Amino acid sequence: MEQPNPKPALALRGIWKRFGAVTANASIDLEVHSGEVHIVLGENGAGKSTLMNIAFGHMQPDAGEIEIEGRPTRLTSPADAIARGIGMVHQHFALVPAFTVAENVLLGSRSARAGMLDRKGIVDEVSEVSARFGVPVDPSAVVRDLPVDERQRVEILKALHRDARILILDEPTALLGVRQIAVLLEIIDRLRDDGRAIVLVTHKLGEVMEIADRVSVIRRGRKQVELARGEFDQQVLAKAMTGQLIVDDISRSAGRDEPEVVLECRDLTVPEPSSGPPVRGLNLRVRAGEVLGIAGVEGNGQRALIDGLTGSARCEGAIRLNGEDIANALPRRLRRCGVSIIPEDRQGRGLVPDMTLAENLALVDLLAPPDDAPRFVSWRRVRAEAKELLEAFDVRPPDPDLPASALSGGNQQKVVLARELSRRPRLVVADNPSWGLDVGAIGYVHRRLVAARNDGAAIVLVSHDLDELMKLSDRIIVVYRGEISLESSRADVSLDDIGLAMAGARR
Amino acid sequence: MTLAAGLAVMAVVIGALGKNPLQAAGAVVDGSLGNSFGIGQTVQIWTILILAGLASAIPFSARLWNIGGQGQMYLGAMAAAGFGITLPASWPGAVLVPLILGASTAAGAGWGWLPAWIRNRYGASEIVTSLMLNFVAVLGAAYIIRDAWPQGFAQQTESVSDNARLPVLIDSLRADISIVLAVAAALGLWILMTRTRLGFAVRALGANRAAALLSGVSEGAVASAAFALGGAAAGLAGGVFVLGVHGALLNGFSAGLAFLGIAVALAARLNPLSVIPVAALFAILRVGSNNLQAGAGLSPATGDVLIAIFVIMLMVVGVIRFSYGELVDG
Repeated sequence: MEQPNPKPALALRGIWKRFGAVTANASIDLEVHSGEVHIVLGENGAGKSTLMNIAFGHMQPDAGEIEIEGRPTRLTSPADAIARGIGMVHQHFALVPAFTVAENVLLGSRSARAGMLDRKGIVDEVSEVSARFGVPVDPSAVVRDLPVDERQRVEILKALHRDARILILDEPTALLGVRQIAVLLEIIDRLRDDGRAIVLVTHKLGEVMEIADRVSVIRRGRKQVELARGEFDQQVLAKAMTGQLIVDDISRSAGRDEPEVVLECRDLTVPEPSSGPPVRGLNLRVRAGEVLGIAGVEGNGQRALIDGLTGSARCEGAIRLNGEDIANALPRRLRRCGVSIIPEDRQGRGLVPDMTLAENLALVDLLAPPDDAPRFVSWRRVRAEAKELLEAFDVRPPDPDLPASALSGGNQQKVVLARELSRRPRLVVADNPSWGLDVGAIGYVHRRLVAARNDGAAIVLVSHDLDELMKLSDRIIVVYRGEISLESSRADVSLDDIGLAMAGARR
Repeated sequence: MTLAAGLAVMAVVIGALGKNPLQAAGAVVDGSLGNSFGIGQTVQIWTILILAGLASAIPFSARLWNIGGQGQMYLGAMAAAGFGITLPASWPGAVLVPLILGASTAAGAGWGWLPAWIRNRYGASEIVTSLMLNFVAVLGAAYIIRDAWPQGFAQQTESVSDNARLPVLIDSLRADISIVLAVAAALGLWILMTRTRLGFAVRALGANRAAALLSGVSEGAVASAAFALGGAAAGLAGGVFVLGVHGALLNGFSAGLAFLGIAVALAARLNPLSVIPVAALFAILRVGSNNLQAGAGLSPATGDVLIAIFVIMLMVVGVIRFSYGELVDG
């Protein structure tokens, strides 16, 4: 796209930022013009977030300059950045759950400081902004009740309501399903047409291909390359991002002829999980050494199924593990029966971020121990075992005394895998095990899951990512409105079939 | 850090009152540690504050809010008074004292367990129930004082038998063995929290409830244990009041120390070992501020004001730290 305005809306020039011995940003330049989507692509830990936090005034660069509309500017705080027309949608939202959408949008903005709150005025004002930019949200809905994609739209509205001309989106698609991503990209498209300058941070190549006008690839704190639309394809970007070509080397051993059924659900109904819509009357079986992939548009009951299987929600019907009824068993009993759980939300449910890696690795052993376990903990042994696991699962750094929060997302997930897969599970329930990870870490997660499968574990894999499902699954189930709309072995199904089933078509 | 900030604010307030903060500090130290009477009093308060701090610190570690330290202390005191008065006075102290303190500890533990049980069974907030149970316990004590074993018209029960009194450790300070018990309790709970599976479960539950549940923690059992342990410490404090400090159950005996225990726990970052020095500091402030008028020309009420400001400072810092994750929802 030709730029009518030669001055970039936002320009970062020669940005340096160090944290101790780590250089997060080394002389990075980045420009974004009005009416342009500039994607910052890189693996986790590449320095993208640091750069964006500098652009939004969260952090000060050690060296380098920031220009807005051609004027050199110092951003000392996010408030500063907002006042200068920059808006940022963080990966973790900063919304007040008990407030309505309108109240959240108004929070901290100029009109909220007038003293009195004009409830109707607020709602009207927010509806107007929402309609003008085609960002569909109900202004009187309470944020607590909204799904994650709508919460994200509230964040976008917040920025637009403050009239942000430069919009920074940090990993906006990390939490979204396929269709939600499409809606988001449409919104971004409209904002581009409206003349906003948009910086989108991601590690997913697909999004780049879809909407980027320009893309800058960052690796290890340095900008590798900047390409305009027409100059890039997925191979080039992947290579620039990882410094190597990704080789897909998953070796799966051939399944045995008739291995035993490990997990069997009969007429399983999870009526009211707190996590979303229910599933009703589900029948499924997973054999030893088999990966059952579960596809579906977010909100069609896969959350409920996971909650039912992991003892996190009440359910009706039968769930049998090697013949033993485990319906409504609490996680404690499931753990003792050899069920491993890899939750989607690593930091929220998979790990205790404030505890050390050793403690996190021992979490299940210590909290759901066998009856004859000693009451005292031998931390020396726990640490020694942790050290071995950290090495075996290639966690970096392999220091058992580090808090889990100090690790990157990919390494955190390796810690979860190390804990859950080293227990030689009979059943693994994996919920989007690779979301938010970079390409290298995704490959690692996949190899480990397949290794567990080859060792004879039954694996239930829920994923937003159809490629992941096609790659790992032996059989695939599609859930639609809480029921199974397609069940097939992977070899006999195409992506198109799955897509149709996800939209509700039955075969 | 927090302590330093609190002390700094106190210095500023004293300065604003037109007095010399250093002189005031001198008066506090002089009043609390300057003579044997002051030292004896400080050690007494120190003992109680260690136990009251533990009563909060253990449940807080599981992110369970025990506001019922006062009630648990009262239960311990009632048990001590009841047994101390009714058990045969001829029994030797070596039998009476452990027996009665054991009863106090158990009574406090039971009263502490109650809000946890209500929470597990009915989902009621332990904050509200533990707070409400304070009133029940205080009224129960009033009954014992007025009707069960009244001491004439005095605001206290009869005295416990001489053999049931805590043995005095250092005569000149009138310091009894309770300080040894309190320090031992802190040590024991520290070992429990850091070296046992139960302690690990308590900490895991507090640090990330969702992850702990998914990993198989038995929430009800751990919550009950944490509350009972806290209640046990408070109950022991009640027993110490009756067998040691007063020799009887007095109306309003706890003098707000149970609630000060909450601040002690927060300032100690919920670490049972750190509770010991933090409680000592608070005891010095508490006892020493009685000397502010003579030593620095400040009203003795200023002492209470300073403690209040100090406590609020700690709470502000503490509360932000402990509830941040609940305010911001991803």
